[in-house]
Amino acid sequence: MGREKAEAMPDTSPSAAQTAGRFSRYSSALLLFFIFCAVTVVGLFAIRDLRRTDVQEQNMYTRSVQSLHRIADLEYQTQETRRSTLYSLSTADSNLHVKYADQSRAADHLVSEGIAEYLANARTPNEMDIGRRLGRDWSSYLSVRDEVLASILEGSTKEAVDLDLTRGVESFDQVRQDLAEIERVYDQQASQQLSTVDATSRRTIVRVAGVLAITLVATIASVWTIQKIRMTGAIQLAKLQMEFVASVSHELRTPLAVISSAADNIADGLVKGADDIKKYGAAIQNQSRQMTELVDQILLFSATKDRKNEAALRSLDVPKILHSVIQQTSELVRASGFQIELEIEPALPPVRGDATALARCLQNMVVNAVKYSGKSRWIGVKAFLSHSQFGGRAEVQVAVRDRGIGIATTELDRVFEPFYRSPAVVAEQIHGTGLGLSVSQNIAETMGGDLTVESELGAGSVFTLHLPIAEDSSSQVPLETQVDGTTEK
Amino acid sequence: MLRRAHVLFILVCAALLGGALLGCAFGFAQLSGPEQSAADRSLAIVVNLSNPVSGLTTGDLRRVFLGERGHWPNGRRITLVMLESGWPERNAALSGIYHMDETEFNNHFLHGLFTGEVFVSPKTLSTPEGVRKFIFNVPGAIGYLRASDVDKTVKVIRIDERLPGDKGYKLHVPQRENR
Repeated sequence: MGREKAEAMPDTSPSAAQTAGRFSRYSSALLLFFIFCAVTVVGLFAIRDLRRTDVQEQNMYTRSVQSLHRIADLEYQTQETRRSTLYSLSTADSNLHVKYADQSRAADHLVSEGIAEYLANARTPNEMDIGRRLGRDWSSYLSVRDEVLASILEGSTKEAVDLDLTRGVESFDQVRQDLAEIERVYDQQASQQLSTVDATSRRTIVRVAGVLAITLVATIASVWTIQKIRMTGAIQLAKLQMEFVASVSHELRTPLAVISSAADNIADGLVKGADDIKKYGAAIQNQSRQMTELVDQILLFSATKDRKNEAALRSLDVPKILHSVIQQTSELVRASGFQIELEIEPALPPVRGDATALARCLQNMVVNAVKYSGKSRWIGVKAFLSHSQFGGRAEVQVAVRDRGIGIATTELDRVFEPFYRSPAVVAEQIHGTGLGLSVSQNIAETMGGDLTVESELGAGSVFTLHLPIAEDSSSQVPLETQVDGTTEK
Repeated sequence: MLRRAHVLFILVCAALLGGALLGCAFGFAQLSGPEQSAADRSLAIVVNLSNPVSGLTTGDLRRVFLGERGHWPNGRRITLVMLESGWPERNAALSGIYHMDETEFNNHFLHGLFTGEVFVSPKTLSTPEGVRKFIFNVPGAIGYLRASDVDKTVKVIRIDERLPGDKGYKLHVPQRENR
């Protein structure tokens, strides 16, 4: 029956197989989704960094070009200021003197504006210092220039030349040095900005490469994990099937050996007398029934596995089915010396289900209790109205309690797995296929219910069948029809 | 007789009012007709803004313009600025300051420079604007301009304590014909 346990796998488990099944079902979609997310993230990072680099490059280019224009304009206008002044030396015409003086003053006005603009755009203390120094040096040169211009306009050419050579050249060189210093500062800033852009670009490449590598590793790991889980599941399934075959062979061989032995004895004429023949006939009959039950169990497991029987669900009367099951198992219970304590809550509402399947499920639960009750020889069956743990909907619960060997906590989750038999049960030589509880749980779930267990090792177990209440009780089927086809023990 | 005086007074007032309104029509910044006319007819003596001299007597002015003084009190060399021949301002300067005609003026400087009696050779500019810019650029320059051509880049000095437009100011220039 249900708690007929097979030996547990030391390194793999059926739950892993189930997980593998669920995971492998969605593995491709998950993998695609994961790769999509990774590629999207990589793309976003790359786009963001590229845009940042682009903006930095544009800013750097704009600033460099503006700076170059500014410094070039300043250099040109300072030269123009001096050049126009010196042009005055080339003529004695006072009108031309005035014209050149005008040109020089216009140029020096532009230089002053350029210096003011430079100071307005200066961002570092160094730039400010250089700008202020340039302003001072330029004013100093202009004062010399004014005197040179005045001397030229007065007609004192020699005095103008002397003044320009002694003070003008020096002042103007100072201005040129300041402009060269500004140019150096611009070069340094451009180099720094270039370094920043270069660093950003390198960082972008490293980041993209890193994320791509992570994506690749994660993808490989995912594929490897999926393959491993699939392989584990396949191995587990193959092992369970082999164990099942071995178990079924063993379960079939025992009654066949009894039947064969009895038949040989009868054929050899060793059985004489009506009593002996009757005794041998009963043995053959009993063993044949065990074989039939085993085959039925396997067929039922196969039938309930696909859970496609919802069309057969009807409104059922639980007390009637329960009484019928108790009656059908009474022979077994009596033969085993058991006492069943039945308690049915009055006015239980009908449930939704398949009568044959429900009877089979309850029968499994009772027989299971008989098998594992040990020496207590007591089974309690109780049907009552309750509410489900999840969702709180009303349901009918049928609890089958025993005071037997109980189930270890570590095995509670595994007792419903098909073909599973615990080592302790195998050691006690309790025969079975490991399908009973699995079949019962499949039946319960097919009817929209559930089968749960509470147990304490050495104290006993309680298996509870949860059955949803039928919404429409008018389609209730007569008891004779409901229990038709149930297998008696 | 009394009635005629009243009428004349009213006419004068009306003319003044009309002139003022006309002046307003041309803008508040501009001088009114009579003031403009006075400025247009006065010959202003202008020096560089840095020149500490603010006034000269007629005699000192003549000595300066004749080249008989070489430096200003601050030590700056005096530079005379003249307009080219043909300008009414030059004629006004020749008659009002030099009391000479063109020939006498030229002879004076040729002779004076040759003998060393004259320390300064006048610079000749072709336009009043050139004169103004020249004086702006040369700290020791002195020249003349029609009062209406004066701007803030040069300084007008008093002659015998009078500025152009003041009553008793002696230097005048004929009004511009093209106006």
